[in-house]
Amino acid sequence: MLFDVALYTSLAVLVAGLAYKLGRWLTTSIGPESRNYTPAQRLSASLKGLARALGSRSLGPMMAALVSDGLFQRRSLGHSRWAWAAHMLIFWGMMGLIFLHALGPVLIPSFTATLNPWLFLRNLFGVMLLAGAVMALWRRLRLPGLRRTTHWADRAALALLALLVLSGFALEGAKIISVHSFDQMIEEYGSLAEDNDRAALGQVWREHYGVAFPQGQVPAGLELMEQGLELHQDSCVDCHDMPQWAFASWPLSRAMAPMAGWLESVRAALWLYYLHFLAAFAALAILPFSKFLHIFTGPLLLMIRVAVPREDMDPAARALVRALELDVCTHCGACSVHCSVAEAVNHVPNLAVLPSEKLMALGRLARGKTDYGEMLDVMRQGAYMCTSCLRCTLLCPVGINLQDLWFAMKDDLEEAGYGPTSRAVAGQAGESAGPSRKVAPFKVASGDFQRDLGLSVQSGSFRNCYRCATCSNSCPVVFSYENPKEELDLLPHQIMHSLGLGLSDEALGARMTWYCLTCYRCQEACPQGVKVADVLYELRNLAAARQGQGESC
Amino acid sequence: MKYALFLGCKIPYYVPHYETATRRVLGELGVELVDLEFPCCGYPMRHLYFRSYMLSAARGLALAEAQDLNITTPCKCCFGALKRAQKFLADNPELLQDVNAELAAEGLKYSGKVQVRHILQVMHGDVGLAELKSRVVRPYERLKAAILYGCHAVRPSEVTHFDDPSNLHLIDDLVEVTGATPVTWAGRVSCCGAPVRERNEELALATIRRRLSEAREAKADILVINCAYSQMQAEWAYSLAGPPPQRELVEGPVLYPQLLGLSMGLTAKDVALDRNTPNGEYLISFLRRD
Repeated sequence: MLFDVALYTSLAVLVAGLAYKLGRWLTTSIGPESRNYTPAQRLSASLKGLARALGSRSLGPMMAALVSDGLFQRRSLGHSRWAWAAHMLIFWGMMGLIFLHALGPVLIPSFTATLNPWLFLRNLFGVMLLAGAVMALWRRLRLPGLRRTTHWADRAALALLALLVLSGFALEGAKIISVHSFDQMIEEYGSLAEDNDRAALGQVWREHYGVAFPQGQVPAGLELMEQGLELHQDSCVDCHDMPQWAFASWPLSRAMAPMAGWLESVRAALWLYYLHFLAAFAALAILPFSKFLHIFTGPLLLMIRVAVPREDMDPAARALVRALELDVCTHCGACSVHCSVAEAVNHVPNLAVLPSEKLMALGRLARGKTDYGEMLDVMRQGAYMCTSCLRCTLLCPVGINLQDLWFAMKDDLEEAGYGPTSRAVAGQAGESAGPSRKVAPFKVASGDFQRDLGLSVQSGSFRNCYRCATCSNSCPVVFSYENPKEELDLLPHQIMHSLGLGLSDEALGARMTWYCLTCYRCQEACPQGVKVADVLYELRNLAAARQGQGESC
Repeated sequence: MKYALFLGCKIPYYVPHYETATRRVLGELGVELVDLEFPCCGYPMRHLYFRSYMLSAARGLALAEAQDLNITTPCKCCFGALKRAQKFLADNPELLQDVNAELAAEGLKYSGKVQVRHILQVMHGDVGLAELKSRVVRPYERLKAAILYGCHAVRPSEVTHFDDPSNLHLIDDLVEVTGATPVTWAGRVSCCGAPVRERNEELALATIRRRLSEAREAKADILVINCAYSQMQAEWAYSLAGPPPQRELVEGPVLYPQLLGLSMGLTAKDVALDRNTPNGEYLISFLRRD
């Protein structure tokens, strides 16, 4: 009764969840142009694209991708052989268990869970799944690159898988030793006539099948044993292989045997049964709302990506695929482990620099779930730290085109008024410089400021400047403007000189500081050895540090 | 001749033809390239986050050291950033110590022994002009080339040591080997505008357009580029410019390994000239006809 209620409830939640997700794929927009397409347009463009792909030469490659990238997860190998091994164990273990629990009994008429090969296979698949989950958890706890992107949801998903398997083994172990289960079997299947039949059969099952009868309940005796074996041949053996074949549950049952009486008294087998199926149905119910969803969305995306290159995709279909990709991510962390700029987070403590975290932030944003303004600032920093090196896209085991998402995200940010970080820092530096420009302050360089500027050590060289303006005369930026003094605020030699006067706001806010091409002509030409270009770099750094852009998190 | 290839972040997505040509030509010349999973050279971070730049650059250098390899890179900005980082780390023992403390978390250490060389230095120095000359089987005729030396390779010269700063000749030598003639032009050691593109797109575009028109004024047929960023800049400018009759620009940018490879008898496809914007296959018409 509870089993059926739980099963149908979880199935209902699963179906409703999938419908809800489909609705989201039709309405979530990533990239400004995605907003132009209605759900109906997205759906029809996607279905048309799918039909075209199925009817074309793409069918072969799609199937090949399904096998190599889906069933054998070839793309994971680019990340790590250990990650691949862990996920293969989880995947094939899970597939095996789903078959044995849900499909086997329906598809195979002679299916009996207590007979081989099923008895053995259930344990094998269980051990595979458990080993994979433990490996994955170990990696997430131990490897620094993975640890920093591991969330509670990642650990919880692995814990749920482990719970599924462990409760299954414990259930099987408890049933092996259970006298109650033994008596139930006798009642249902045994044709016992004699009074001592139960004792006879019990002896066989104690000796060979590990049932833990209380002391003295089943007397020993050679004659009784023979009688028991006969009964066993008649009634039991057709449905029961030796429990040692359950190579994981059997040793567990030996460990539980000393506590058999207590376990029986608290009806452990029954509770473990509840725990086992409730864990399974819980996993089913949360599937659409968790990373488990990739079981469906992953293979789909892996086929889509080989069928139609992203740039050739109908924009309406692309809108749907981008939204879908948010629900394909398994948060495996491969992208963040291999990210070209991952090390930046050591000094720019903003996790949105890392692709996996940036994607999660993008997902939350696309759903309108966060404090918009603050989040956008964090995401901007992540988006513009990215060098578009393509590595995450080439690596992603489920084939998410992250590069495309990052470009779309930058467009969204730009539209919301959150353009490049350095442009924003420049703008703010310019604003703080603005007022002081009008009142022309004069102050002598403070020790603090020179210390601030010590980032790359040689900044003090600006003090050697004697305003010959060789730097400004060699500067291609100065050369590019008709009225450079007006359009750049200060020229390079003026910046060097103003630093000597302690006019740091002026120097930081001058457009020249931000339009510097870093061509080093000034530095190469300076007769006084002033590190002009390096100092300008340091000024930009200083502005970023002052505005807390380096610290936002 | 064995190097770790530091491809940099821009080439895989934006300039894949540079990778194709570099691998093919260096392979033909007997330079063995080893692929390591390098991080960013740190150059783009340097504008705002100096310490992230230092860590990223040092990590790349340390990865090569761990394999006992020197680095070669086709990108002038990666080259400059790595060289500049080496200088910072050499001049500041405290910084070096801090960075190494961070690298120790993954068992890496930067000692300073790794050498960083641009692929053109490898061709000029390791392979040698004589060998190159012997490999050129189809030299160019009447091909005038404007060479863009690349800011971050040549300056600051006390840091980069790319070439003789008072008499730049390295790329001229390499171009002459192919039979092409370097022209004297205004933009030879000037900037392509890339570094400021994020903050001032107008200035970035104006800068590269100036280079492309200066090259045309000097009657050059091509602009020879050796940097991922400069090539991106040039291709961006062409993608915005109209068709040839309207635009007052040199016919097109060519990456040096493409120029050399074609004269070594490789096909235009081998060096991915068809992937250039605009298509670089016109270069074939300058090859000597036998």
